Parts: sequence; C-alpha cells; structure tokens
Amino acid sequence: MDFNPTPFNFVSGFNSWLQLVGIIGAIAIGLGLLGSFLYGGGANGLPVFLKGLVSFFKEIVTVSPGRIWALTALTVKECVRRKALLVFVVFAVLLMFGGWFLPESAERAELEVSNHIAFVLTTISWLILPVVIFLSCWGIPEDIRLRSLHTVVTKPARRVEVVLGRMFGYGTMAITILILMGAVGYVWIQRQVPDDMKGINGGTNLLTCRVPVYGDFFYFLDREGLPSRTGLNVGDAWKFRSFVEGNTRSRAVWIFNDIFPETIGESLRLESRFEAFRTIKGSEQSMTSGLEAQYTLLQDTREEAFSSFGVGASFREAGEALREGNFQNASQLLSTVAERMSSAPLDFSPIDCRQVAIASVQESAYVLRKIEKGFEDVAKAFEEFGFAASEVIDPEDEASRGKMSIACAALADVLNERGDDLREAMPRIEVPLEPFEVHEFHEGDAYETYPRELTYTANNESTARFLTRTITDLNDLGKAVKGSELSADLLSDLEAANIETVNAELVIEVLQAEIEAGKLLAADGKLAVADNGRFLQVFDRLVREERLISQDPAGWVLKADLFKDLAPHGALRIQVACLDDQMYLGMARSDMFIRLKDNSFFVGYSKALLNIGLMLCLVIVLGVTASCIVKGPVSFFFTLTMFVIGQFFHSFMTRILMGQEKGSGMIESAMMIVQHRSPSTGIDTSERSMQMIQAADKVNLGLLHAASNIIPDFSNFTSAAIYIENGFDVPWASSVLPAIATFVGFLVPCVIIGAACLKFRELEAK
Amino acid sequence: MQTQENVIEIRNLSKVYRDFWGRKKVQAVKSLSLDVKRGEVFGLLGPNGSGKTTTIKMLLGLLFPTSGEISILGKKASDVAKNERIGYLPEESYLYRFLNADETLDFYGRLFNMSAQERNQRADELIKLVGLDQARRRQLKEYSKGMTRRIGLAQALINNPDLVVLDEPTSGLDPIGTREMKDLILKLRDEGKTVLLCSHQLADVQDVSDRIAVMFQGELKVMGSVEELLELREETEIRTGNLSEEGIAEIRAVLKKHGMPDPSIQKPRADLEELFLKTVRESGERPGRRFTAEEMAATQPAAEADASKK
Ligand SMILES: Nc1ncnc2c1ncn2[C@@H]1O[C@H](COP(=O)(O)OP(=O)(O)OP(=O)(O)O)[C@@H](O)[C@H]1O
Ligand SMILES: [Mg+2]
Repeated sequence: MDFNPTPFNFVSGFNSWLQLVGIIGAIAIGLGLLGSFLYGGGANGLPVFLKGLVSFFKEIVTVSPGRIWALTALTVKECVRRKALLVFVVFAVLLMFGGWFLPESAERAELEVSNHIAFVLTTISWLILPVVIFLSCWGIPEDIRLRSLHTVVTKPARRVEVVLGRMFGYGTMAITILILMGAVGYVWIQRQVPDDMKGINGGTNLLTCRVPVYGDFFYFLDREGLPSRTGLNVGDAWKFRSFVEGNTRSRAVWIFNDIFPETIGESLRLESRFEAFRTIKGSEQSMTSGLEAQYTLLQDTREEAFSSFGVGASFREAGEALREGNFQNASQLLSTVAERMSSAPLDFSPIDCRQVAIASVQESAYVLRKIEKGFEDVAKAFEEFGFAASEVIDPEDEASRGKMSIACAALADVLNERGDDLREAMPRIEVPLEPFEVHEFHEGDAYETYPRELTYTANNESTARFLTRTITDLNDLGKAVKGSELSADLLSDLEAANIETVNAELVIEVLQAEIEAGKLLAADGKLAVADNGRFLQVFDRLVREERLISQDPAGWVLKADLFKDLAPHGALRIQVACLDDQMYLGMARSDMFIRLKDNSFFVGYSKALLNIGLMLCLVIVLGVTASCIVKGPVSFFFTLTMFVIGQFFHSFMTRILMGQEKGSGMIESAMMIVQHRSPSTGIDTSERSMQMIQAADKVNLGLLHAASNIIPDFSNFTSAAIYIENGFDVPWASSVLPAIATFVGFLVPCVIIGAACLKFRELEAK
Repeated sequence: MQTQENVIEIRNLSKVYRDFWGRKKVQAVKSLSLDVKRGEVFGLLGPNGSGKTTTIKMLLGLLFPTSGEISILGKKASDVAKNERIGYLPEESYLYRFLNADETLDFYGRLFNMSAQERNQRADELIKLVGLDQARRRQLKEYSKGMTRRIGLAQALINNPDLVVLDEPTSGLDPIGTREMKDLILKLRDEGKTVLLCSHQLADVQDVSDRIAVMFQGELKVMGSVEELLELREETEIRTGNLSEEGIAEIRAVLKKHGMPDPSIQKPRADLEELFLKTVRESGERPGRRFTAEEMAATQPAAEADASKK
C-alpha cells in the first residue's frame, strides 16, 4: 500500500476553516451591502441591509425541529413516490451478475478478496451518487417552478428550515439506500469469498480488519550509523520507499510511542512489507528464500540523546564515543577538540558548529533533563556548549570559536566528572529478534508475534550490566560473601538467577581471581570494589578483557521485558537491518507496523459505508445549496464539477500549490507549448511581457488556492474504502474524522448561504 | 365591521418586474394605497393583468416591493412570524401533487407546530367542510381542478387564521362550490375574521364583500363600500308574487300618476346559477330523471325565495 496515514489535526483544520469562513462571510457581507445599496437606493442601503441581516439571524435562531422534520418527511415521501428506490433494483441485478466478471485468481487470494470488496463499495457509491446529485439539484428549483414553495413559505416555515428539510430528507433517503445496499453487499461478500480465505479452515483470514499502529517517528541510519531523513535511492523514480544497505550499519528506525500493555496487549505483533532490491544475484539460498531482514528492539537513551551529535565531521568521534557510552573517552576527545579549536579555529566550519549546536540543545540537553537521576549539570554544559556553537556564523571570525572552545572544555570536564554516573544511568538494551525473509514478489504480509518476555543473546554491555545487577543484588542481600570468602552457596544462587552452570562457575572463578588480585575486596560479609570503584566498571573491564566469554555456546542468554525494559516510558524503538551483503531493503513509514488485535470485517466495512454516507451527504449539501441559487441543470453541473474536481484533482491542486508539480505558471506553460520550448530553455519573449505573464500566473495561482479551499477534498471520503479493500481497519483519526470534519465544515456555511439566497430572492422564478 | 383597526395597510406600493439584466419589463402595481379593516371582507377587483395577484404576493412577502410600505397584522411583509395568523389560497393551488388530502393537511399543520391530535381533528373538519370526504386518500395529482381548489382552501384554513387571503377563490369551482365558497366567506366574516379576496368574477365579489376596490393596469381606480358604490339612486325596484294582466295595467296607471310614464315591467328570470343549483338539488332528490323546461319554471318561486334570502 502506498499511503502514509497521518492523523487529522483538528486544531489546524479548524483554524483554516475559521479563516476561510471568515473570508467567505466578509465577501457575502460585501455583496449584501452592495445589493442593498442598489436596491434600497443609496442612503437607505445600510439600514435595509442591517434589518435584513437581523431578520435573517432571527429566523435562524427560531428554527423549529418540528417543521424541519415535516419538511424532511415531505422530501423523503417525494423521493419514494418518485421511485428513487429503484436504484436498489439495479444494484441487486449488478450483484447477481457481478460475480461472473470479477477475476478469480487463486494465487493471489488477497487480491480476490479485495476485488470483491472494491466491487461492492464502488458500485454502491457510483449508483447512489448520480441519483442523489440529481434529486438534490432539482428539488428546490422544481418547488419554485411549480410554486409549491409559495404555499410553504406563506406558512411560518423559515427558509433555513426549507433548506435543512431538503438536505435532511435527501440525506435520510441516501443513507437508507446505502444501508440496504450495504447489508446486501455484506452478505454477498461473505458468500462470494470462499471459506478458506476467511480463516475458517485454518488458513489466514483475509476478510478481516487489521488494526495497525504506525511509528510516530521514522528515519534512517546511514552506513556509518548516522541519522538521515531518507535512506538510499536505488534509482526508482518513485520515491515512496527508501533503501537500507545490507550488512552495514545502515538501518531504518521506527519509534513508537504509547507502547503499554493497555494499548497493544501483552504481546508484540509486528507486520511488515518491504521491498527487496539486489545488486548481485546472491547465494543460491538467498535466491530461493529471499533476503534476510532483522528487527532489533532497542531501549537506548544514548541514541536518543546523542544520535545527531557529531553529524558534522569535527565532532564525529566524540559523538560516537557518547553513543557507545564511553563517556571518559568522549571527554578526552572533546578536550582535544577544544584545544584544536583555540589553536586552529578555522578548521571548524560554521555548518559543523550549527549542526552540533542544534544536536546539543535540542537533543542531548533535552534528553538528559528527562532522565530522573539529576543530570542537570551535564544538561547545562551541553546547552552552554550548544549556545556558544550557535554563535559561530562567520567563517573568519575567531573570537566565537574561542568562546566555543571554552564551552567545549567545560563540557569535557563535566563529562569526565559525571561519566561513570552517566554510564550507569544511560543503558542501551538491544534485543535482536529472529531474522526473517523478505521475498521479491511479496504476497500477503509477513507478520510475527513476539512474547512480552523476550529471550536474547546479550552483547558485551548487556552482559556487564546483567552481571553487575545480579552480583549487586546478591551482595545487598548478604549472599555474595560469607565472612571474607565468596559464599559457598554462590553457585546455586547464580543458577537461581538464570545463569547456566558453566557460566556461573566462570563468574565465581573470575570473581575469585579479582579478589586475589586485590581489585575486589571481600570483607565483613560484603563484596566491595577497591578504591571506591563501581561494579559496572569492573564488569565492563572484565568483559572487555574477554574474561567473561560465555562457556555456553548459546552465549549469555538473557530475558528482557518488552514494556519494563524496552519501553519504560512507552517509547519503543525498532530498527530494521538487511543482513545480506550488497542487497537492499526498501521501506517507508507505513511498511512496518504493530498489528493490534484485528477488528471484525463488519466493523471496518461499516466505517467505510459511513464514509460513503458522509460523501453522499456532502454532495447533497452542495447540490441543495447550489439549487437555492441557480436552476436545476446549472446546479447539477456545478455539483458534478465540484465532485469530480474534489475527487480526482484535489491532490493535484494541492501539489501545484505546494510547488511539488514540475513546470511553471499556466500562461507561461501555454506559451511554451506554442513556442515548442522546454522548461529548461524558457519562453522567448521580452522582459516586460515576461513580467506580465508571471504576474498573471500569480493571479492564476491565487485563484487556484481559493478553489482548493472551496472545493471539498472528496478523497477524504473514498480513502476508507482503500483501507478496507487492503484488509486494514478504517482508522478514526486519519480517515473517519477528516471525513466528518469536512462534512460539518461544509454543512454549516452551505446551510447559511442556501437559506440566505432563498430569503433574499423573490421566489418568482419563471 | 366591529372595529376600525387596520389589518392591512398599504402605502404607495409599486412593483416593477425586471428581467435578468435589471431592465424594466412591466410596472405591475403603481403607487397603490389601501387599508383593510379588521373583520371586513375586502374585494379586490380588476381585469386580467391588473396587478391583483402581484399585490397579494407582495403582501405575503413572496415578492419584494419596488417602493412603498406594507404593514400586515402590524408586521412587515418580510416577517415570517406574521404567517402564524394568515391563511393564503394562491391563484392556483400550488400543492405537492404526490400527497393525498390527509397528508397535505397534516403536512401544513406540522408547519404550524400543531399537535398530532389537533392536526387530525382540524383535518377532519376541513375535509368535511370542503366536501372531499370521498377523495381524502387519493393523491392530488388525480384531482380535478375544482377538487384541487377545495383542498387548497382547506390548507389555507388549517391554522384557523385571523386573516384569510384568497386569490380568485371561485375560479375553477362549480356553482355549488362557488355558492359554498361564498357562504364560507360570510361565515368567516361572522367569526370575526378578515378576508381579502381578489377576483374578476364581479358577481361573486359583489355578493360577499363589504368593501371593494377596483384596479386597472396597476392603479387603484375606485374604492368604497358595496352599498355606496352600487346603489342606483335614480331607480326603485318593486318585486311581487305572480301578478295578473289586470294587476299590471293598474300598476302602470298608478305609476303614470306619479310621473313615471314608461316603467319596465316583466317576469323576472332566474339566473343560470339558480337554475343550476336547483337542478343539482332536484337530481339529488330524484335520481335518474331528466327535467323539462316547464318543470324547472314551475319550481321557480322556490328558487326566487332562495335567491332573495340573502
Ligand atoms: N413574474 C412576472 N414577471 C414579469 N411580469 C409579471 C410577472 N407576474 C406578473 N407579471 C405582470 O404583471 C402584471 C400584473 O399581473 P398580475 O398577475 O398581478 O395580474 P392579476 O390582476 O392577478 O391578473 P389575473 O386576473 O389574470 O390573475 C401583468 O401585466 C403581468 O404580465
Ligand atoms: Mg391573478
């Protein structure tokens, strides 16, 4: 699927709605004033206008539900007696024979299911739509032509009520037909889709609504492990997916927020669909079984804090050390940098400095403040360094480099001092999951469920941290040392802490050696580190010295809890790597998601119908409004145009306005066609006329901007069908809510415009 | 005429119909001023195209006056609230043809926010009143012209209005309907309602109106009470029972003595309306018969008596 669902932003949507309604309101008031000046004859214009306005709003305030209901019922009766429901018969006939024409493809079961759903939903919308446009556009004009409206408006019925009654009436009718057709269509789909595709005989259920949780952030790490917005481009013109290079440090990173048992359940189900791209044929095995990809779940505050520290070359090594958690080393590297900065200031480009400034202030300091253990001083040092770095603007200016050098040295000092604390407070837990295969011609989506309790083979850091924690815990309970000897029960205690016997023996052996070497002290039933050192330092060193290599071939097998260890604050980081050398995996944000418990097909289907219903209602609103102003055929044409543009060309308009479409202004492009020029050569004309053409094109663009705001984006409504056709649930936030908002956003001004046009016009149309 | 309060006041009303481009087409009403008083039946007369309907539509806010002022029931013509107490029968019954009589009345009743019970009761009364009992469940598109007028009248009265505006109430009605309509108008007046009717059926207007106005080409030409306008001060009419030839000769002699040498004395004829009414009544009583001219003439005194009742 090629979409990138983004939740609907109510606040900004509402804001732009208010602006637009404000502008339209101002235009309407202007027109009204003009009209009443012409009509009331000069000086009388204003009072006439004000009185009209007041009486109009009085009418709006005094609407009566009873009367609206009467007019609604009248409209429905009219439709029924005019046999609008006959479309339903057409639908039934289409369904009866539709099965013959739909392709049956046994190999691609998912396509078959999706074809059936698409057939039903498309037929429903395209059958009801013309009926609805037709009825809503002719209703009021006919009422005026036959003068039946005379009899209504000489009763206490308000014009708003007439408009609302029409809209509600046609809406009720459209929705009734929709529900009828929807129900029949549902039964039809259930009967057409064979049982084994519904998961009844054990196969995968394709008639379902997957509920995805998409990552909140998505970015790439390049082959050096540095963050970048996109991955590699393998030469596709279509830039939806970016590629991760195999067997390098290149990764795609998703960050999911709000990962708690309450939100995703007790286990983690990951589903993905990646694109495989080969530069070489690869081994025979990889030819038949596809490329190998691997998820790694991460809890990594260092990555969060320092991921872009050192994107610029000058601070690269320091950044690397920070990310590795080697804070002493980082401190040394930074003081070297500080020295170089005062000796050779011009080596440091302003771009590098600005980059490191942003990273220190917005990432490092920000994350350090979030850690509970009080790294206020470190955060401050990063911030000050960042501020000093941000002052470096002029490539020649040495003074600002001087200041930056001082801040850098200060940062190095703080890091040196708090390095061990930081090392303890900023762990990196890395849980690589079982690799899986990605096929070239991927059919169906691969998904895998991982339990809450994850077993993984620890790397050096995790081993050191794990042993530190185990020994510290035992020591705190007084179980590590008896008197001044290692406890005799230590072996069984370690085994109880899930350590294999061979490894437990190794640990005891190493501890004994350390005690003998005087690095560890065993006295008074407690184990302590010499020189007031820390256990983590000791185990870090032991791991580094390769004295704790697992005796068990499976390595140090540890357990991590998905929620407590990997997403302690609800943020889960998942990296995807490609394991095959010289191969590439393409991915976009929506290509990997956490799949929650599926919703029933019925739920998603109903939501898709709801969106179609809203679309029909919006068309009705537009049609009725137009028909208050112009006659039937004109408003029919108008509504149809709005629909077609809004459905098929709205995104095109938006792209032009955002400058994403290639080419220049309308007139300029037209001239190019006439003159047989290309955009790179430009047109052949004098400077003066070029200016004029460009000015005119600006006006065109302005008009387009206005149009894109006034014409509703109908694709908001049809998107729901796309979700369900692809086996996804229809999300509220990015599909149903925008549809509702679009509908309501148009309903309110349309009702007012329609009612005003009916009120301030003589109903004597001949 | 109980009080002198004005229910409708029209001052200097003019209406110019314009085409789409704002060019003047017709001046339908020219500087019209008139008052309709509470409780009276006011007849607006005039030939075709004289501006009667235009005036009424402006009164009801369907058209906007080019100039001039209107007050109706103390409110502006553009105020919907006035409609609560107005009943309007348009020139032709502009109703929803896919509804039946019951549904029509129910629908308009709802527009007045009447309760279901009220609506039912009122609909029953009105349908009986306009004589559509047999046809109340048939759709209006099947109705004859007169039946449509009748249901139109019923909807105009649904809210028991204080002011009834009738645009050519008798057009399309058979003589019985016309008579019933006239009786109804008088009944409405007796109930203290104000009636504004317009028509070019002079006899009808004459029969029921308290005051009339005559329009011609948009201008008000004559206005006044019916007695005032129609009293022929130069003539005296005498009516008696059937008189013998001798009797007639004697009367001629007497009149000659009073200086009236050549009075016109003849057997009065019933007008066609009376004949028609008679026929229908007799047909109801004796179905399956045809009447001869003599028979109808013989029953003339009854018709006479009937006609002189009003
Ligand atoms: N909608 C209209 N557009 C243009 N002219 C109109 C319109 N309605 C009426 N007129 C013109 O206004 C004049 C008055 O018409 P109106 O209908 O008021 O006459 P009327 O007195 O009701 O006639 P009738 O006895 O035939 O019903 C006529 O000349 C008519 O042609
Ligand atoms: Mg008329």
